[in-house]
Amino acid sequence: MNEPEAARDLPVVLAADDDEDILELLVFRLERSGYSVLQARDGEEALELAREAKPDLAVIDVTMPKLDGFELTRRLRAEEVTRRMPIILLTARTQDADLERGFDTGADDYLRKPFSPQELSARVHAILGRR
Amino acid sequence: MTIVALALSAAALLMLLVLAARRLVLARRERGHAESERRVRPLALAIVEGSGGEPPALSARDQAVLAEVLGRYSRELTGEADRRIADYFHESAALTSAGGELGSRRMWRRAAAAYTLGDMRCAEAAPELLRALDDDKPEVRGAVARSLGRLGVSEAALPLIEALASRRISNEVGGEALIELGSDVVPELRHMAGHPDWQIRATAITLLGLVGTSGDSPVGVEALRDSSADVRRAAAAALGRIGSSDAETALRATLDDPVDVVRAAAAESLGLIGSRAAASELLELARTDEFRPAHAAAEALARIDPGSLAAAAAEPGAGPHLHEAADLRKL
Amino acid sequence: MSVVHAILRGVSWVALVYFAVLSLAYLTFTLVAWRRLGAHRRARKYLPLDEMYASPFTPPISVLLPAFNEETEIVSSVDSLLDLRYPRHEVIVINDGSTDGTLERLRAAFDLAPVRKALRTRIATAPVRASYISRTHPNLWVLDKENGGKSDALNVGMNAATHAHVCVIDADAVLEQDSLLRIIKPFVDDPELVAAAGGIVRIANGCVIDSGLLVKFGLPQSSLARFQVIEYFRAFLIGRIAFDSLNGVLIISGAFGVFKRAIVEAVGGYARDTVGEDIDLVVRLHRYLRTRGDDYRIRFVPDPVCWTEAPEDLATLSHQRRRWQRGLGETLWRHRSQIANPRAGAVGLVALPYFLLFEFLGSILQLVGIPVVLVSWLLGALSVQFFLVFLAVSVLLSVLLSIAAIMLEEYSVQRYKRASDIALLALYGVLENLGYRQMTAFFGCRGVVDLMRRRHEWGEMRRRGLERPEEAPSAREQARA
Repeated sequence: MNEPEAARDLPVVLAADDDEDILELLVFRLERSGYSVLQARDGEEALELAREAKPDLAVIDVTMPKLDGFELTRRLRAEEVTRRMPIILLTARTQDADLERGFDTGADDYLRKPFSPQELSARVHAILGRR
Repeated sequence: MTIVALALSAAALLMLLVLAARRLVLARRERGHAESERRVRPLALAIVEGSGGEPPALSARDQAVLAEVLGRYSRELTGEADRRIADYFHESAALTSAGGELGSRRMWRRAAAAYTLGDMRCAEAAPELLRALDDDKPEVRGAVARSLGRLGVSEAALPLIEALASRRISNEVGGEALIELGSDVVPELRHMAGHPDWQIRATAITLLGLVGTSGDSPVGVEALRDSSADVRRAAAAALGRIGSSDAETALRATLDDPVDVVRAAAAESLGLIGSRAAASELLELARTDEFRPAHAAAEALARIDPGSLAAAAAEPGAGPHLHEAADLRKL
Repeated sequence: MSVVHAILRGVSWVALVYFAVLSLAYLTFTLVAWRRLGAHRRARKYLPLDEMYASPFTPPISVLLPAFNEETEIVSSVDSLLDLRYPRHEVIVINDGSTDGTLERLRAAFDLAPVRKALRTRIATAPVRASYISRTHPNLWVLDKENGGKSDALNVGMNAATHAHVCVIDADAVLEQDSLLRIIKPFVDDPELVAAAGGIVRIANGCVIDSGLLVKFGLPQSSLARFQVIEYFRAFLIGRIAFDSLNGVLIISGAFGVFKRAIVEAVGGYARDTVGEDIDLVVRLHRYLRTRGDDYRIRFVPDPVCWTEAPEDLATLSHQRRRWQRGLGETLWRHRSQIANPRAGAVGLVALPYFLLFEFLGSILQLVGIPVVLVSWLLGALSVQFFLVFLAVSVLLSVLLSIAAIMLEEYSVQRYKRASDIALLALYGVLENLGYRQMTAFFGCRGVVDLMRRRHEWGEMRRRGLERPEEAPSAREQARA
């Protein structure tokens, strides 16, 4: 599932979440929407995948072990290779106060949990369509 | 004595056997469950995405596992996906059985059933759940409240507020459920803000702060004059989120409240509102000796008027709170 | 001759009665624990942890982490604390004058910036040299102070904590992701009543830990550690669950506990002049809350929320047990007025006497028993048959209790999944009686001797900081493997 050599004719999306259920739902929806999906279960794995495979967009959960979504976003923004990669953050409602932080670190959009898969693919479309 | 020894040995052996047998049984059950889940997960995803068509006939165990998986998914999802899950459970055996369990004699069965009903996303469970809110066990009531919130049952607003206020459900679960019900509960909350019991008033006002809008600000302002310190504190805190300009003056007056936590809450809220007019009063408060109000005032000043904060912090005898706030601001 | 015989007979009767009472106590505890754990297991089906995580009402927690010379582990410990699944919490690391690179590692890993944090002054402490906040994690504070011992470090933490609830934790304790949510639950259910809560502390040796997160549960390789696992089950777990139902919880492990800050402040914080500062605090909390007159609870959460490392070599184990006994003895002595005092409630009438008679004196009696038996035998006053049967019964009872404890674990929590692990534990439950228990009794006795002699180790301890004996690296490396 985590092949960095994903088929290049399909846009590549990186999905990062430590919750198995959410990850599954994300992957299923994104694949059905016509993307090739890379999966990461924690922030460090996500960072590595992002560097190697250079996905076209990343959907990142804010609360992940080892490297949380905000830190990950900051790191991705700090590296040349991933600086312009669009990032959508998945947040829980309690982190509203942190949302400012999220945008400060450079995320492009956010989606609250519980989330609507429809909404997610709409936003991904919107961002990738622009590029 | 020897008899005792023999009895003990026998008991020990028996328990060992039971342990071993149980472990084996459990292990087999777990494996079966894991296999079921593997089979059933693609189906669950298909249902959520609406791509499945007619689901195939499943064994009873697989059906139960499917219900479990869908229940887990439902906690993460909202919108169209949620509706599909509700459609799946609508008039299903799982729903009926959970509804039945709600009347079980055993507390944990009732609680587990109440919890599961929320995961099934079916509004038809609402009437039974509402009745179950009067259960005599707090665990059951908590599970019921949680599910009512998840199902978005607006008729539950008043019963939930009453249960919250009379301490029949915890603030955490009850409050969360009310927040999930959203703005539907606001009229009830406004009404409750005038209740004779101070605990009810305090809870209602706190919730207004979370789900209300600036239109509710006058209710909060009124409550700043309440006789109960808890209510005043709740009001001061709530106004930080929903307070409009009319709240500013009242909050500034509250900086002189006799109770320290109330003063602290007022200071914090003035900071959130961004009230420049309060700057000098906050500065004065930040210089005092009382930890909480002074701390809150310094923080608020950092938001409102960083310039004067920095200046004040540089003065001799500025006090620890001004120093801390100024140092933090510089970062 | 007959007088001596009579005395020895008397002694053996006393031993019999002692044993009978103790066994009865253990059996009662086991039954009580059985019921509670069963209820708790079922409760997991409807535990609203997700809701508590989402709710803005869930009380925020200040996590206090005292650290002395923890450079190898400190960063991953702090990382895992920051990662805990909880809506609002801050982590305050108190560097107790470490002489190694603890502070440097923190500075480097978390981009610390100096900020003059305002501290409360109610509890007197050694001076704080500097305070820092992390630029990358604004809910992480690091306070650097002169060495003063664990109690002092914790008191600084109390003075610094922002929130009303504080969580006290050891640097080498590993928590599960949901641990904070689980341990705050008693406070959520009864916000007015609950003053403090502790949880089950389990042994981490043999578990696989990755960057401070528990990945796999398993039994330790080391025999010594295995003995400790079964001992934890049999002695600690069951007893604490039972005492919880009486509101007589005396032990909230220093490795992990949650308190209402204001109440700890009201009793003056941790005591600096005892090695049993954790028990001492809880007993003082009970006294204070009782005299205040309002109803209160100090709870024990039967969830394995915290995993800690057990000593794997004799020297460290010995040191640990001596310290425990000394701490227990010091606390019992300080609060002796509470023992058997009806005004002290269940703490005075049940918990303290139990700890005095069976935990504290138990080790002495166990060891004194051996020479008494020998003398009796030599003098021909010993009924060999009686003695052997007595021995058999006591061993069998202990084995039975161990198996019961394993069953409870199996039944309720099931962290050890493999049948072989369970069988192994049962085996060690038997082997325990062939030397391990006698050995720990011996260490306990030495602890009592230490106490009696009042060795001026206290001064030494304060200089060494957190009383962390020679052990640390080996046990930890094992667990981190």
